[in-house]
Amino acid sequence: MSTLLTADMIRKWAPVLVLIGLVLLFTTINPHFFSLRNFARITISSTPALMVAVGVTFVILMGSIDLSMEGTIAVCAVLFALILNIFGGSISGIGWLAIPGALLAGAFLGAVNGIVHVQLKIPSFMASLSLGFIGIGLSLLITGGNRILIDDPVFRSLLTFRIMGFPLMVYAALLCLMVAWFIQDDTVIGRNFYAVGGGEDLARASGLNVGRLRIIGFTLAGIFYALGAIFAVARLGIAETETGRNFMFTSITSVVVGGTALRGGSGGVWSTLVGVLIVNVIGNGMVVTGLPDYFQDGVLGILVIFAVYLSTDRRSLSFIK
Amino acid sequence: MRRHFPWITLVCGLLLVGLTDVRFLSPANLLGLATDVAPLLIMAIGITLVIYIGSIDLSSQSIANMTTVLTTIALPAFGVVSGVLVVAAGFLCGAISGMVTTRFKVPSFISTLAVGGIALSIGQYASGQQALHMDTVQRQQAFGWLLGKTAGIPHELMAAIIVALLAWFIQSHTIAGRIFKAIGTGEPVAVASGIHVERYKILAFALSGMFAAMAGVMFSVRLSGGSPTLAEGFLLPAIVAVLVGGTPLTGGVGGVASTVIGTMIVAVVRASMIYFNIPATGQQIFFGIVLIVAIASTIDRSKMLTVK
Repeated sequence: MSTLLTADMIRKWAPVLVLIGLVLLFTTINPHFFSLRNFARITISSTPALMVAVGVTFVILMGSIDLSMEGTIAVCAVLFALILNIFGGSISGIGWLAIPGALLAGAFLGAVNGIVHVQLKIPSFMASLSLGFIGIGLSLLITGGNRILIDDPVFRSLLTFRIMGFPLMVYAALLCLMVAWFIQDDTVIGRNFYAVGGGEDLARASGLNVGRLRIIGFTLAGIFYALGAIFAVARLGIAETETGRNFMFTSITSVVVGGTALRGGSGGVWSTLVGVLIVNVIGNGMVVTGLPDYFQDGVLGILVIFAVYLSTDRRSLSFIK
Repeated sequence: MRRHFPWITLVCGLLLVGLTDVRFLSPANLLGLATDVAPLLIMAIGITLVIYIGSIDLSSQSIANMTTVLTTIALPAFGVVSGVLVVAAGFLCGAISGMVTTRFKVPSFISTLAVGGIALSIGQYASGQQALHMDTVQRQQAFGWLLGKTAGIPHELMAAIIVALLAWFIQSHTIAGRIFKAIGTGEPVAVASGIHVERYKILAFALSGMFAAMAGVMFSVRLSGGSPTLAEGFLLPAIVAVLVGGTPLTGGVGGVASTVIGTMIVAVVRASMIYFNIPATGQQIFFGIVLIVAIASTIDRSKMLTVK
């Protein structure tokens, strides 16, 4: 019994140990890695990634997958910038309407994703992949391939205004993480995500409307992608189709590396925070230690394979498609 | 009825565009249309084999990207052999996807995404993140046979047809092909019959990687160079071609011949969009919707107990 408990403990805390190990490793290679300025840099790059990864965490908890984030982020970022600029260009005026506007767009795209997946009975990876392509097409259609610049100082203060060395957006993201934690642990919807991920047949037999829950899960994910899009725009001051680039692979890697199993039912948003930090520490560490950043995709590829490998209980699985 | 749907769609598409402009139906134009999609056809055929066994390959585009870079780099030293080498590299990438899927039990959409990430890194590293160009003379010496025309038919198209015939032969006249069908129709039954299912699944992924690499070679010869983003935009039409052709996501039916028709449908749709003045961005949205419709109408729901 006690050995079982420790094995479980190791599995639970392994991602945190990996994170600490990586920080120590990069610090020994280059002491400049361990500085407030560099940590601020890591958290800034983590902020949009965290929102997107938290969104897809809800979907993965149900045992589904969402590959549509690049398209959804592109659409939300572009719409956000467009609405902001139409309503005077400042978030302090009526331009604030851009925030609910982007969140609504994210919720809408997520809901469409969920409805296509549930009602047409298409596997979620393919439904969401298709909708991701459609999203990228939509944002290209809206922008005509151009960039939209945002130079509202109030909005950019998310990046420029710092408290204790960390910009405002980091605290805002932590607040959103708390909301996600609340949804996950203290709402019926959140508990039902675990129920469906842990055993869909059982959840269905208990009278749970699984289809409706899945649609809610995808909608929630869409809202968090929109938050990620807003932070990404705040970080760069630019909204374009490219804003969504690379989020799909990195966010899923983050979730899986953090310890949320792809089959669903275990893990959660705190695991995802650890996973996002691991991925961004690796990205930052590679730059600090002088490795070219394009190795990142390859390293993440190897990382995700091993994370899924370690998290899979291979005895319980017979066939993998 | 469902079996005949793809070619009826193709004929209707051709007629529809032909009605607005008769020149569209001229043999020269149709030949050009088919030649244009030759690399796409080869890539789609590879993906077909993987979907045929009920899995998915999302790495094809990245492998083709990597291949365009590696071919361009290897050309001065190895000449035509560079093509053979990179096709072998594609085979290896596919085999890795297959091994990760079967041995590590990682779902294929994740394993191929991961291997695609690795291939992308290799492509970026090898190219130094810039577009590379082939030397005209060396290209002519090594791959000149791909560029000309015989009896009015471009060699690229002939090569694609030969590759398609090869894949069709593998699928319908070899033991491996029969076993692919068995896996796609019912994997548990195949396992129970004593077939080394894992080995053949790895082979299907490896072949898909190989075909993706062939597509990359053809594309880089056509454009006389390579870059880690050269084949961007191939993945969506390639998967659409497979599914529209009539190979369902659940596998077991359809196959290479269906994908040939599916690719022609994609080609006609693309051309018709130019005729009807629909911008290129509209294409992506349209193909995304077509993909959803194609999956929803062909998927075999009796094989899926729960849809995740």
